[in-house]
Amino acid sequence: MFHLSEDYSKLGLKAGLELHVQLDTGKKLFCNCSTKMKEKQPIEIVERKLHPVASELGTVDQAAQFEFLKGRTFYYQAFKGESCLVDLDEEPIHPLNSEALTVALQVSLLFNCKIPSEIQVMRKTVIDGSNTSGFQRTAVVGLNGYLEFRGKNVPISQISLEEDACAIIGEEDGRVMYKLNRLGVPLVEVSTGLLVGYTPEEIQEIAYMIGITCRSTGKMKHGIGSIRQDMNVSITKGARVEIKGVQELGIMAKIVEGEVKRQMIEKAKEETRTVLPDGNTKYMRPLPGASRMYPETDIPPVPVNTKYLAEIKKSLPEPLTKKLQRFEKELKLSQQLAKEILRSDYVEVFEKVKGVEPSIVASTFTNVVKDLERSGVEISNITDENFMDLFNNLAERKIAKEAIPDILRMLAENNTKKISEVAKKLGFTTLTHAELDKIIRETVKPDMPFNKAIGIVMSKVRGKADAQTVIKAVKKFLATSA
Amino acid sequence: MYSAQIEKFLKAKKISIGDRVKVGQYEGILMPRIELGDTSSLVIKLDNGYNIGVKFDKSMKKVKTEWRVEKPQAKTGVTKIVFDKKLPTISIIGTGGTIASKVDYKTGGTSASFLAEDIAKQVPDLKEIANIRAWQIMEMASEDMVPDTWVEIAKAVAEEINQGSKGIIVTHGTDTLHYTAAALSFLLKDLPVPVAVVGSQRSSDRGSSDTVQNVSCAANFVANSDVAEVCTVLHGSVNDDFCFAIRGTKSRKMHTSRRDAFKAVNDAPIAKIWWQDKRIEILNSYKKRNDKKVLVDGKIETKVALVKFFVGMDPDVLDFYKKYKGIVIEGTGLGHVATRSKLSLIPKIGKMIKAGIPVVMTSQTIYGRTHPSVYRNLRTLSELGVIFVEDMLPETAYIKLMHILPKARNVEDVKKLMQTNMVGEITERTEVVSSE
Repeated sequence: MFHLSEDYSKLGLKAGLELHVQLDTGKKLFCNCSTKMKEKQPIEIVERKLHPVASELGTVDQAAQFEFLKGRTFYYQAFKGESCLVDLDEEPIHPLNSEALTVALQVSLLFNCKIPSEIQVMRKTVIDGSNTSGFQRTAVVGLNGYLEFRGKNVPISQISLEEDACAIIGEEDGRVMYKLNRLGVPLVEVSTGLLVGYTPEEIQEIAYMIGITCRSTGKMKHGIGSIRQDMNVSITKGARVEIKGVQELGIMAKIVEGEVKRQMIEKAKEETRTVLPDGNTKYMRPLPGASRMYPETDIPPVPVNTKYLAEIKKSLPEPLTKKLQRFEKELKLSQQLAKEILRSDYVEVFEKVKGVEPSIVASTFTNVVKDLERSGVEISNITDENFMDLFNNLAERKIAKEAIPDILRMLAENNTKKISEVAKKLGFTTLTHAELDKIIRETVKPDMPFNKAIGIVMSKVRGKADAQTVIKAVKKFLATSA
Repeated sequence: MYSAQIEKFLKAKKISIGDRVKVGQYEGILMPRIELGDTSSLVIKLDNGYNIGVKFDKSMKKVKTEWRVEKPQAKTGVTKIVFDKKLPTISIIGTGGTIASKVDYKTGGTSASFLAEDIAKQVPDLKEIANIRAWQIMEMASEDMVPDTWVEIAKAVAEEINQGSKGIIVTHGTDTLHYTAAALSFLLKDLPVPVAVVGSQRSSDRGSSDTVQNVSCAANFVANSDVAEVCTVLHGSVNDDFCFAIRGTKSRKMHTSRRDAFKAVNDAPIAKIWWQDKRIEILNSYKKRNDKKVLVDGKIETKVALVKFFVGMDPDVLDFYKKYKGIVIEGTGLGHVATRSKLSLIPKIGKMIKAGIPVVMTSQTIYGRTHPSVYRNLRTLSELGVIFVEDMLPETAYIKLMHILPKARNVEDVKKLMQTNMVGEITERTEVVSSE
């Protein structure tokens, strides 16, 4: 086995990141379909072919395109409310979603970017069938910004607003099946400049920071697939290789390390590679050039006037560093917990919860959720509304915090249930003082040692009363009955 | 086009479209402004291919020339593409429209510059179907066409047939494609070979364009089928699977944007043409190929109108048509107009007929047959001498009226000719079919 020295700067490690984050706008970028992606049953499946596009690329590329496309037929599943004739390439696009543009401009400003005076939507040729049109629509909304990271400015070269592509379901014998509901969901793409002098771990950390910064607008989707990432990686003796489709930020460092190793062993070519489940990569296609871009002629460019920009500046969310400080000082979270909640998918819901001790909420969204996920619970079935409901019940003392893991587990399995119903079903409704006293009277003998008494009562009332209340009541009982 | 101020500045500084320029902190290629929007913003193409709008600023400087805008060279005459001498030769006659429009990747402009020859080259399986004679006769958006355009197209089609082509494809904008198809059906007498009028709903520069399937199916149809009629050939469904060849007089664009916009109205399609396996299924009766010499009957009366009746229509509207040689009305339902209300059209229609102007009745329901006597109001119209034309499409009736007026000696002649089927525009019976 080949062992790599840790000195990445000596190897000349250079990387570039492209993060794609889905926006949680009500409607898609160029039509009025929902972006929920909840439907399971397709209402229609449409069959399509794509053709090589003449005059765009050289003849050689065209021949390659033709060979690739000849054997391929694409099938698109349409979903009620989530895909329309625009998605099917059967109707011209509607005007650019202004809510999405506002969020994208917010992101641009958060990364200190310059904003063009006019936004021109471009068509970027894509022939893998993931876009029914044969191209992806994308527009530059910010340029030449930076992200503060450990005292340095990481260059953010470009922010684009784009339409997401179809999600692939499967491929067999040249037949490729896609779902149309993800097509057209707005994405913000954040591209860094060349990252030189960073270790793989630092590169991963930068990706995290970019993600969190986008999230701070409160308008990003969360859950699996809501952030996807492409990377360029090269070392001095290798070549610039694009790695596409990293869905988990946590394996980035590993991918960079792996690619560096690969480039040291193999003779690397400039190409696009895709990530395998083990974090290694495989060849996907040659690197595309600027020549595959041309303007979207169905809608005019969108001007960004100073008044509009001023309004967006006013509505900018709190910067991350300030938010972190506030979480520590005002909400009394430990630095560790504050960082974790800031990174989690739930920071927006976390901030909405009122009347519950912040550390309980934060650790629910970090530790509890992680533990449940590890044990196989499908946390994505639990909506933000469910969480709000949960904490409202907690705030009103209708449930005890000890009951949270069990309630969440049940919720994930029956995601339509109300918290009060789930709690009732699990027997987790909080006991009244009289009910608690009754249980104490029945189970605790007046001469029992305090710790033993607490143990007995807690085992009886777990999840129905919080520990502090039980301790108080038992103390009182022992004191008065002695 | 940029604002006058920018144009003046560019001229003074000798900066042209295609030059690499620096404006403030941006550097890129100066692009033409092809869209509306803020004419005082510059369009700059960045090195990664993106275009952005940049506020004009007098510090703008030329860095170097990247490229020059070249005027496309107009090609005239017929281009021959021979794939295999054993294959039949067919002609593609280009007229313009979405099927011919493509984006210029350099400037981003869309223009009808995708000529018949380019279309032929874009369809890879043509080489298995036929040798091609490509001829661009005009570049016109179909909504800009006039009745004389149909005569011009008909003459080109006849010329190609008479020099030996085994079938003809006419590429055309889709908006009025069915008008041209109907017109060619009437104008081309003794048609010996198939003629397919073909368009596309997604422009030919897109990877998803329907041009490829439509032209491929049309080529297969005109090269290999026995149908010597004018048909529209476009997608039969939203899938890329087959096209329908629909009789030119019975075809109509029924959707603004779907690729299967063309429907056979009150008739079955003549054929279903499978794209991939090239099967042609015949679904209706048709006229067979023959050895006759095609003639163009180019005499048409253009002083004809197609008028839609609507609720609340002021009868005085009809006064405008007093100088016309004939009108076709799109009535309601079975062929009604206001008859007994205060806005009755009866007096005006009566006057027109008395003055020798034939009035033809069709229905705005598009689907179904008109009827002269089911209701009293219909009888009133019928007695007046209004010509009910069965299940003929309004546009087809309008074109047929133009076509027969020069031949008819009197209103009786017009009535007889309008009510006699010539090229499949009237069916005798309506087949029971599921509607969609």
